[in-house]
Amino acid sequence: MQAKSNLVALALVAMSLCFAVSSRAGRQQTNAGAKGAAKVDEAAEGEKRFVTNCGRCHQPPSDIPPREAKAVLRQMRVRAMLSSEDERLILKYLAP
Amino acid sequence: MSTLVSSRLLSAGLASARRVHPLRGAVFLVLLAMLSASAAMGQVEEAVVSGSVGFLYSHNDGQTSLQPILTPVILVPLGSHLLVETSAQLQGYIARSGGNGPYEGQFFGSLQYLQLDWAVNSHLTIVAGRFTTPFNIYGERLGPMWLHNLQDAPLIYPIGTRTSGSSNGGMIRGVVVSRPAWLLNYTVFFSALSQVENLGSGRAFGARAGVFLPRSRLELGTSYQRFLQEQHSNSYGAYFSWQPRSLPIDAKGEYAHSPQGHGYWIEAAYRFKDSGKGGLTLAKFQPVVRGQQFFRLAPGVSDLLPATDTQRVDFGLNYYPIPSVRLNASYGRQFTSERDSNYWTAEVTYHFLFPLAFWVKESK
Repeated sequence: MQAKSNLVALALVAMSLCFAVSSRAGRQQTNAGAKGAAKVDEAAEGEKRFVTNCGRCHQPPSDIPPREAKAVLRQMRVRAMLSSEDERLILKYLAP
Repeated sequence: MSTLVSSRLLSAGLASARRVHPLRGAVFLVLLAMLSASAAMGQVEEAVVSGSVGFLYSHNDGQTSLQPILTPVILVPLGSHLLVETSAQLQGYIARSGGNGPYEGQFFGSLQYLQLDWAVNSHLTIVAGRFTTPFNIYGERLGPMWLHNLQDAPLIYPIGTRTSGSSNGGMIRGVVVSRPAWLLNYTVFFSALSQVENLGSGRAFGARAGVFLPRSRLELGTSYQRFLQEQHSNSYGAYFSWQPRSLPIDAKGEYAHSPQGHGYWIEAAYRFKDSGKGGLTLAKFQPVVRGQQFFRLAPGVSDLLPATDTQRVDFGLNYYPIPSVRLNASYGRQFTSERDSNYWTAEVTYHFLFPLAFWVKESK
């Protein structure tokens, strides 16, 4: 009888652990999903700002490494009078 | 400086590549100091080299010339608010001597800008050093070879950009007001006289203001410059830039007025939408057309403007096999009271961009 109780208790603990782990993983997935969506939103907003501001003189680049994008955007911030927010979002679009 | 104006200078015999001035050493030292400062701040990894290398063939009014052009740009961030940027143009001009003689070449270089930018905030950026003269938009925005759609500079380009297209001094610029529907920007500069070879500039004061409407993607602006040497004079300008949302058209234009003359140019470039059929992507082609007129008001000596009233129309076609390479061909017809003439150009340009510290791998 005692052994049966111990087994039931162990099963309950195991189930709780499984539930807790899966719940945490779910939360993490939700957080990651939310962050990913935010990242996508920022990149989309960055593309919009690129087309509006930079598109007056430049075609969208096909591929530009992050550090090159960062330096070029610093220059464009002066030339095209971009705000720091424009600079941040366009960088998300150019080098996500 | 634009290709056509450079050619005009060469033709006038005003450019010489052989003399070496001590200030070149100073420029070199400034560059060295800038790189050292960047390295000391641990930011040399963020410095990049950009620019273009190109080759231009032109047959202008019976004169054939070949021009290899290298335009490197170096960008060195210093901290989060400072940036040192510099660009030079190294250009060859190869043409037949006397029209029918053997080809002879001249090579020269000029420092287009070497400036320190201090981005205080979005309302104010302070610039010191040598910078592109901010009169209208052609010189500052469309000056680089890989950016302008037609290789010959507009007829009115010398107005407001004397003497070299660059200024030595200080400039403030920024955005006065930024709203979702509109944005007001400004630029104010002062330039000192410099007759140092390849670092020349005129003594001048100027300002530019523009309104940008993001929803319609239309920018309208105006420029003013007071030339403060020789006979003091005023130059005025106005410009527009429009990329409508409904059509892939890039339209730009400028008007400029000086005591020597006034004129305008209007340009439209059409970028085809990608058809994605048959392997031939029309999106790689961009036809361009530009019309311009210049009206001479008073005779000018070496003002680089046309000697008489002039009308000109140019047709061009750009082809981008890959985004960093452009092939361009254009034909222009110029009409003056003295004679009409043809202008042909063909050009290939490669636009490059790589880290200055190319040996350092990028951190993840």
